Amino acid sequence: MTTGIKIAEVGDVDDGEGIRIDKAATGTEDDIALFSAAGRYYALNDTCTHEKASLADGWVEDGAVECPLHVGKFCLRTGEVLSMPANESTVAHRVEVQGEDIILYPGETPSEETE
Amino acid sequence: MTAINLTPPSANPQTHTERGDLHRPAALTPTVDVSSLIDTTNGVVDRAIFTNREIYEQELRRVFAPSWLFLGHVSQLTKKGDFFTTYMGEDPVIVSMDQDKKIQAFLNSCRHRGARVCRADAGNTKAFSCTYHGWAFDLQGKLQNVPNEAGYNEKFDREAWGLVPVAQLDTYRGLIFATWNPKAPPLPEALGDMAWYMDAMLNRDPEGTEVVGGVMKWVLKGNWKLAAEQFATDWYHVNMSHASALMVLSPTGKGPVSGIANTPGRQYVDPQGHGAGFPTHPKSRFDAQAVHEHYDYDALRDRLGAARVEGPMTTGHATVFPNFSYLPVNGSIRIWHPKGPDEMEVWAWTLLDKSMPPEVKEAQRLYNLRTFGPSGIFESDDGENWSEVQAISHGFITNNTPLNYQMGLGSERHDGVYPGTTSELYSDAAGRSFYARWADLMNTPAWHEETE
Repeated sequence: MTTGIKIAEVGDVDDGEGIRIDKAATGTEDDIALFSAAGRYYALNDTCTHEKASLADGWVEDGAVECPLHVGKFCLRTGEVLSMPANESTVAHRVEVQGEDIILYPGETPSEETE
Repeated sequence: MTAINLTPPSANPQTHTERGDLHRPAALTPTVDVSSLIDTTNGVVDRAIFTNREIYEQELRRVFAPSWLFLGHVSQLTKKGDFFTTYMGEDPVIVSMDQDKKIQAFLNSCRHRGARVCRADAGNTKAFSCTYHGWAFDLQGKLQNVPNEAGYNEKFDREAWGLVPVAQLDTYRGLIFATWNPKAPPLPEALGDMAWYMDAMLNRDPEGTEVVGGVMKWVLKGNWKLAAEQFATDWYHVNMSHASALMVLSPTGKGPVSGIANTPGRQYVDPQGHGAGFPTHPKSRFDAQAVHEHYDYDALRDRLGAARVEGPMTTGHATVFPNFSYLPVNGSIRIWHPKGPDEMEVWAWTLLDKSMPPEVKEAQRLYNLRTFGPSGIFESDDGENWSEVQAISHGFITNNTPLNYQMGLGSERHDGVYPGTTSELYSDAAGRSFYARWADLMNTPAWHEETE
């Protein structure tokens, strides 16, 4: 079990939107895209696996994020690739809401109950 | 011999990496001397200017490409990422609001294989990505991403392959204009005295104007000049073409009284091809009742001057050369997009004063639709006339029979009331001036043409 890192507070991300957290703050290999969708938070590696685009700028719909440049799609919960032209899954990280804080557990696989 | 060199009219001319050794032979772009097709001294026009394909293509490169053209209204863009698409001549254009909320306009054609990178009418986006191979452009049209960029050699420079930007973009009281021509005079100079007349519509309200209800778009058979010319110069058709509409709108059901039907008025004749006509009878104001009651005409006289309130603010008509037209009382602004010599697309907006109360805005919106919407009772009269003229104009004898633009020949003068040169309300003077300007541009090499 890794140590959690506070990356944002409740209210920092509007529902249906994403924000980009710099890797300098998370110590991860890539920036982190933090999404809020239907009352839950999700974290993915920010750079699309297809081309250089920030998934935090993407379109959130039906539990997935669509890349703003070429409309490749990824599952918010698992990072699984869902649509061409992307064809490699991305990395999903566990996030937890603790009080007002949103905590990232880098490298940990999110569970079904991810908040 | 002249050849065409379609260097993108941006501040950075094309480099060898963009153009290679391409050079378009002059034979591909033949030039017709049109000076014998327009005779403004005798007031006659050759009908070939409405039907000939070579003349039409010359118009695209010598009239549309070098001129300031209307794109839309600033109220169509409110937050970053907002965009709408339109045309400049036949060139598809994206107008966007960038990260700094600055208005940008660029050619809607991918620099790779040429597909449109945006096929929506309007919306909000983060990028414009080509659906063909995926070249993606940002809100300023800069090339942001090329899939498999590693497949290009080290000479490939993304900076060089952005969407072609317009050379100049400016706004006039909420109206967005742009030109591909880096050498075009600044917009205020290009509008000249016409701005004084435009202010009768655009400067009634200190808060300015807005457009509502989207852009109404329809296709008409007819050369674009038939419409542009009519809005510049033609009050003459009103009592005849619109007889039934005037009967319907008159409170008595018998049509307007003689003094209004045969109103005096003036017609503004601009040397740059713009034109505006307006009755000067104080009651010649075919407006919606709620709007009429909303206006404080004494305050407007203080703001705009009596001549403007009793002149171009009445039931007037106008064209800003080449293809932007408007009707101040009806709240209609529109552009006549050329679609080949025989067809045009009309794009029309409802323009309102920003500080009108909601019920007045709604009354004006409905009045605009009723009179000059796509099925408006005046609009359909006009469209029918233009299509009728075009429908027969390819006949050999028909096409060789000149048209008459002789009304008001020699009547143009400085009248001491209105800026610039004016003629009678019933006159072809602004039409003659429209075609003089057209012929002048058609016979002048544009900035993109170079002498070999």
